Amino acid sequence: MLTALDPSLLARVLSRALRRGGDFADVFFENRLTQTFRLQDGIVREASSSVLRGAGVRVVVGQRAGYAYSDDVDEAALLRAAEAASLIVREGGEHDIIVALTPAAAPVLYATGSDEPAESKRYVELLGRADVAARAFDPRVASVNAFVTDELQYVQIASSDGRLVTDRRPLVALGVQVVAREGAERENGYVGDGGRTSIDVFDVQTPESIASESARIATSKLGARDAPAGEMPVVIGAGGGGVLLHEAVGHGLEADFNRKGTSLYSGRIGDRVAGELVTIYDDGDLPGERGSVAVDDEGTAGQHKVLVENGILRGYMQDRLNARLMGVASTGSGRRESYRVLPQPRMCNTFMPPGTSTRDEIIASIDRGLYASSFSGGQVEISKGDFVFMIAEGYLIENGKIGAPVRGATLVGNGPDAMTKVTMVGHDAQLAHRSYTCGKGGQRVPVGVGIPTVKLASCTVGGTGRG
Amino acid sequence: MADPRDEALAFAETAVALMIEAGAGDAEATVSISDRFSCEARDREVTKLERSRGRGLQVRAFVGTRRATLATSDFSRDGVAALARRVVAAAAFVGDDPHAGLPDTVESDGVCDHDLFTVAPDVAERADEEKIEEALSMERTLREADVRIANSDGSRVGDSVSSWAIANTRGFRGVTQGSQVSRSAAPVALDGDDKRIGHYGTAARGWATAESAQAVSLHAVHRALALIGARKPATTRLPVIFERDVAAAVLADVFSALSAANVALGNSWLADRVGRRIGNERVTLVDDGRLPGGLGSSPFDGEGVPTRLTFAIRGGVLEAYLSDTYWGRRLGIASTGNASGGGVAANNFYLLPGTGTLDDLVASTERGILVLDTIGFATEYASGVYSRGARGIYIEDGAPLYAIDEFTIASTFGEMLESIDGIAGDLRFDGTIVSPSFRVAEMTISGT
Repeated sequence: MLTALDPSLLARVLSRALRRGGDFADVFFENRLTQTFRLQDGIVREASSSVLRGAGVRVVVGQRAGYAYSDDVDEAALLRAAEAASLIVREGGEHDIIVALTPAAAPVLYATGSDEPAESKRYVELLGRADVAARAFDPRVASVNAFVTDELQYVQIASSDGRLVTDRRPLVALGVQVVAREGAERENGYVGDGGRTSIDVFDVQTPESIASESARIATSKLGARDAPAGEMPVVIGAGGGGVLLHEAVGHGLEADFNRKGTSLYSGRIGDRVAGELVTIYDDGDLPGERGSVAVDDEGTAGQHKVLVENGILRGYMQDRLNARLMGVASTGSGRRESYRVLPQPRMCNTFMPPGTSTRDEIIASIDRGLYASSFSGGQVEISKGDFVFMIAEGYLIENGKIGAPVRGATLVGNGPDAMTKVTMVGHDAQLAHRSYTCGKGGQRVPVGVGIPTVKLASCTVGGTGRG
Repeated sequence: MADPRDEALAFAETAVALMIEAGAGDAEATVSISDRFSCEARDREVTKLERSRGRGLQVRAFVGTRRATLATSDFSRDGVAALARRVVAAAAFVGDDPHAGLPDTVESDGVCDHDLFTVAPDVAERADEEKIEEALSMERTLREADVRIANSDGSRVGDSVSSWAIANTRGFRGVTQGSQVSRSAAPVALDGDDKRIGHYGTAARGWATAESAQAVSLHAVHRALALIGARKPATTRLPVIFERDVAAAVLADVFSALSAANVALGNSWLADRVGRRIGNERVTLVDDGRLPGGLGSSPFDGEGVPTRLTFAIRGGVLEAYLSDTYWGRRLGIASTGNASGGGVAANNFYLLPGTGTLDDLVASTERGILVLDTIGFATEYASGVYSRGARGIYIEDGAPLYAIDEFTIASTFGEMLESIDGIAGDLRFDGTIVSPSFRVAEMTISGT
């Protein structure tokens, strides 16, 4: 497969892109091969392969960006894209700019595997094992759907400042969805795992462990009560509860919203924005994690970023365009779904480091509340920080003990407000195993989240329970 | 430049031939070619300009009753041939699936693009400079509308013309084209420390039929201002009015439960309920693939099956699931012409409108909530439980009293469809799933 364009061609494309002027230009080339197998009701029903190959050219001037992409990567097509992108520069004449590129390799962050996907039978075997394990877990398991996907993305990022970075990014995922049934009642569970590594990871994170966990979640909700409604103490589960940080705080700290002044966190670096116990990191450089980037999609190395430290806002997540305008350096947060779209400042692996309490101490501190073990998703509104989380697995807390499971629960609240209500933090910090994908402006990118068990002194639980 | 429709059909035929060469028994190729333009203005600056032609090939191949698919943006003959060999080889490891395969017989029924008005001529005629100027004018409209609007996340104007062609080994050849335009605005209202973004956008087949730039801007401003000073309501049960965009989001979840794919997998609260009453007599939900000018209209669906009008729920009774060929075979029903991208999708899916306006619904509500916006999304359709974060207006004695936020509305889809007691006449076809505003007699409000 074509894994790189000729550097002299990239230099000519950049020269054309800047002919009308502009602060900088870049070319993002990718060639991505994805192999997926899907299982439903005991049968692997589909094998699919896909190739996404093309290049995008961007010209930036101040806060303005011109963009064009091409699925063809010959010189004529790339020069046409450069020409189209350069139309963002609406004044001045034409100048010849010479760009010289110096190649550099991305830091090594991912397992080096083969360039070719594994033998098909290996994927099929993984799915078969997941199916058997889910059905063996409980006779009420009515339906099992699973997929395994193995992707390898080559990228080449050339920038008019002379940098030419290449990266080779593996990404694997294995997900199992289980529907459990008892009488007319149906409940589902979903667990996924994987990361930026090879499918050998499933020798350790076995399909059996993923499938039985998914079956456990689905069956645990059979006979569950309707979730209660109203304000109460809420305990966020370790790992999967990390969606809380991603939504309630993370998005609000992305640089585009802050540069434009549309986020509630705009202009507040150094301010207290959360309780003492709250520290939040976003790490791009964790080896093999789903949200990691050796380099981001602008060629900047992935980094460890302190977003909030003991409740004080320390920094935003920056891409090149916003960092320039705010007079700071990029934090390696410029990410994009593919060469067809402009990069945006995005999260990588967002998590909270461990505190000092045990989970039992946290649960025991509550007379009546809710334990939100994991979330299936969430969403936030940026200007005021209102969030919603859909609880995948939740339980009542009664008299300091975990009680009956509840179904259909959501949490609703306000990010900054919730962060002042963190009153206990567990020592059991972990990254979630769920294969999260974050959506922003129509672009989806893989991310990671993690958190220890955390107590929110009060949060609104949205349910249908009438008592 | 050559007509992209000819290019798309020719390449679909080439791809089918390459699949046969690689060893496939049956194959179906879909080629799309799209020309897209979009621009964004913020205050007095043009902040984004994007113009590109994108394309894609998607193939479904069958080796006996074993299925494999491929997708690529690489249109080189060698590239497609290599991928074809890869997927045919992978198909050997897939299990036999007796339901897999192309539609049995697909006959064109003579409906042409021009009968469905999927291409508006004014899209090709409008100059980019005019669209850029319009985005700038939308920014001026926002800022002149109210002193509390001093900022925005930008106003966007864009259009596209897409051609797509399908060819298969059973002799089907089809090609069609559609245009789309869109306008959206995102003003930020600031009142003291209270900061609120209002999002509003619209889409249509052409500029002449789209909601005007000024109307879009002013509606977005209305949304930003409406929530200033919002407070958290008390936990209680009340009637809930869904404004039409939010109502459409509810219908999107109902569509997922009606999808034959979810029904066959047991992942739907509507499984095993055909012929049963699942809502009151006001509720009629249809999918119409032949709606003139509809954003989801097309003479044939994603596997070449002629589109049609289907009553999914009529007068509260579940009549039909919406299906493609494969999931239809799994359930023992015929395709309803809803194949799209390898799955089941809406063509033009909507709730039959009633009469009157949203204001009439509000005026006839003694105490209740008008929901302007929901956050959160469904991740499961098995249980039929509905719960979303919401923002809106508290109503008393038929009049808006104050803004509310940080609460959830919850019920089950079954209870909601059973207790819809008012449907307005404000249906507008600005998406593929659309709804008039409606009122649900009672839902759980979780707040303080």
